[in-house]
Amino acid sequence: MEKTCICRCEGVFLEEILQAIDEGATSFQGIKKRNRIGMGHCQGRTCQPIVRDILRKKVGANSLFELQKAQAPVRPVPLGKL
Amino acid sequence: MKQKVVVIGAGIIGTSVAYFLSKKNVNIVLVDAKDIASGTSGACDKAIMLQSKKWGPALELAIQSATLYKDLEQELQQDLEYRQGGGLILIDNEQDLKVLQQTVEKQNSIGLNVKILTGDEVRKKNPYLSEKIIAASWCEEDAEINPMLTAFAFAKAAHKNKAILRLNCEVLDLVTENNRILGVQTTHGKIYADSVVICSGVWTNQILKTVQLEVPIIPRKGIILVTEKLPKIIDCNILSGSYIVSKLQKEQNSIPYGIGLAISQTKSGTLLIGGSREFVGFDESIKTKIIRDIAKQAIHAFPCLDNIHLIRSFAGFRPYTPDNMPILGEIPSVQGLYIAAGHEGDGVALAPITGKLMSELITNQKIEFDLSPFSIERFLESTIS
Ligand SMILES: Cc1cc2nc3c(=O)[nH]c(=O)nc-3n(C[C@H](O)[C@H](O)[C@H](O)COP(=O)(O)OP(=O)(O)OC[C@H]3O[C@@H](n4cnc5c(N)ncnc54)[C@H](O)[C@@H]3O)c2cc1C
Ligand code: FES
Repeated sequence: MEKTCICRCEGVFLEEILQAIDEGATSFQGIKKRNRIGMGHCQGRTCQPIVRDILRKKVGANSLFELQKAQAPVRPVPLGKL
Repeated sequence: MKQKVVVIGAGIIGTSVAYFLSKKNVNIVLVDAKDIASGTSGACDKAIMLQSKKWGPALELAIQSATLYKDLEQELQQDLEYRQGGGLILIDNEQDLKVLQQTVEKQNSIGLNVKILTGDEVRKKNPYLSEKIIAASWCEEDAEINPMLTAFAFAKAAHKNKAILRLNCEVLDLVTENNRILGVQTTHGKIYADSVVICSGVWTNQILKTVQLEVPIIPRKGIILVTEKLPKIIDCNILSGSYIVSKLQKEQNSIPYGIGLAISQTKSGTLLIGGSREFVGFDESIKTKIIRDIAKQAIHAFPCLDNIHLIRSFAGFRPYTPDNMPILGEIPSVQGLYIAAGHEGDGVALAPITGKLMSELITNQKIEFDLSPFSIERFLESTIS
């Protein structure tokens, strides 16, 4: 179970997420700063909802205020076409 | 009884202060309203650059800090993505070259090894650079580090040395009696201490106002673009000379959004492309115009980036001070209260030396550095008179 891959873009596993929460992370941002989850090509579109469920269960509803903010661009764009 | 110290703020500065204190015979509590590196230190670039530093005491501080960085990975026993890969300041016109040449002469006169390279020499170092680059200054001493990893590593090492970490714990008030610090009031109760160090970056005034003090630290917003992962194309710090030159000529206010290119590649392969400098309070929104202008400057220097994908952008707030120097030292009106904040765009570079000097100051050791130019008094005087 702990070997489940949650973030495929950055290769982050469930056990690393649980460890980050153990170390004091209480938000998606906090987990991300500890293991790079959500920093990959899809920018957390795939992994953030799963982490949100884990946080709700482990930390409580308060943790959900600090979800990753939408940061431009909405999807990857070539630098020359901005 | 052991001296007890509360450190407020777990950014790269507060964690460094806590780490260096933890090597001494002191009880430490490191408190953060949110999390380690949740403030500016989690939304910034990674340069430890010497050749871009302001002349004078700030440069001396930076040089000592750069030396401490060299052994830090070994000391903390952790990979911090440290690399002394050198740094380039790119020049694309004769006028800027003249100004930069003068600076380089000055830098050489104090023994900082910076030299001017021709366009072809620069392209030998990095073949992806545009033909429009006619020269660059090169400093071998420039380095880089992952600031988030560093803040976490400092905190971890401090914790190993018995420092207590209190996250999600906001300081609401300073507890004082007869102009002496007694501790802090937090959202989770009082913590008593002999000394308190304020390392809360852009949020410093919220704490200082509880003892009727104010410093001119204000947020100076910066935006950074993050690209998709690429094979290694950049292996040193790169800045554009145009911003540096206008800064030297004190004309930086004339540059729209204060945009000056800063580009480097992370270990994971993404490029970090900065940046802007704006005084807009704590507004986190990101203007498309600024993203576009930064991207344009990046393509001007590296034409091959035209088709590279931008995957993200973020905004951080530099703790600006009017003389671009941090405030370090004891606060004269409250015995036992210290401040280490206002590192503006140099906090990453200056973190180790800040931690070391503050730990010596707080434990009453002899300090081999003149901290008086960094004293809070330079800002307090004007309000008194
Ligand atoms: C875009 C950008 C690029 C940059 N690039 C570089 C670079 O290349 N090289 C370089 O050297 N510097 C760079 N900097 C500057 C550097 O990031 C900062 O100087 C540095 O991060 C400041 O660290 P700090 O610890 O003082 O502040 P912060 O990291 O902001 O830490 C302050 C901490 O205090 C906590 N806090 C605040 N109020 C309270 C309270 N009441 N109670 C408890 N805790 C509290 C906050 O939660 C926060 O964690 C850059 C900055 C920006 C914005
Ligand atoms: S799955 Fe986590 S960033 Fe894409």
